[in-house]
Amino acid sequence: MTIAVKLDAMLHERRMTLTELAERVDITLANLSILKTGKARAVRFSTLEAICAALGCQPGDILEFVPD
Amino acid sequence: MTRPISNALSIAHIGLRVLIVLNWIYGAIVLALLVGMFVAEPWTMTALGVPAPAQFAALAMGMRAIAALGLVAVPLNLALLTRLVAMVQTVGAGDPFVAANAHRLQAIAWILLGQQVLGLGIALIGKLVSTPGHALHLDAGFSPSGWLAVVLTFVLARVFAEGTRMREDLEGTV
Repeated sequence: MTIAVKLDAMLHERRMTLTELAERVDITLANLSILKTGKARAVRFSTLEAICAALGCQPGDILEFVPD
Repeated sequence: MTRPISNALSIAHIGLRVLIVLNWIYGAIVLALLVGMFVAEPWTMTALGVPAPAQFAALAMGMRAIAALGLVAVPLNLALLTRLVAMVQTVGAGDPFVAANAHRLQAIAWILLGQQVLGLGIALIGKLVSTPGHALHLDAGFSPSGWLAVVLTFVLARVFAEGTRMREDLEGTV
């Protein structure tokens, strides 16, 4: 089982680039890229809150539990 | 603050290198002593102040055993010192909180334990073969500070391993 990150799809839906999101949420592009590619081991609530505020979505719109 | 730290690191590095050389010299001397006890026993024993082995066979035998145990300490010391050098190098490289150092500390704790056991063995032999006329005065035996160092190093190794794992987790946190 894995937690899938759907940030790419959400960015596409909002017509926003990762660089723009990085500027809005004040998180480095490198860290956002780690999150987007599913390489992150943990996500801070503050990061999730900032992304959701910038994209106008819910945490569930970005993260999805995928059973094996 | 950077300069005193780097200076301390350089001193520690040089000090450890010197200790490694001294350990080899110590090993060579003990080996020579041990070989001498077999090859040129009368001469070696006389040089050490031990009377004819015919009269003090147990004492001579005990001294051989102590020398052999002293030789065992050489690879133990070397293993400890080389690990310490590697740890100092990681501090110098700016990244000491790595899993390898936790493993090194764990190994150092086991080596310290081995050294304490070795010391007890040497002291025991010394006590067994000593006679009122010819007592062996050895700088070995039970050392509370030595055993405390063993426990502390085991604890420190565990703390280091946990700290390293937590840092790895934090590194993957976005």
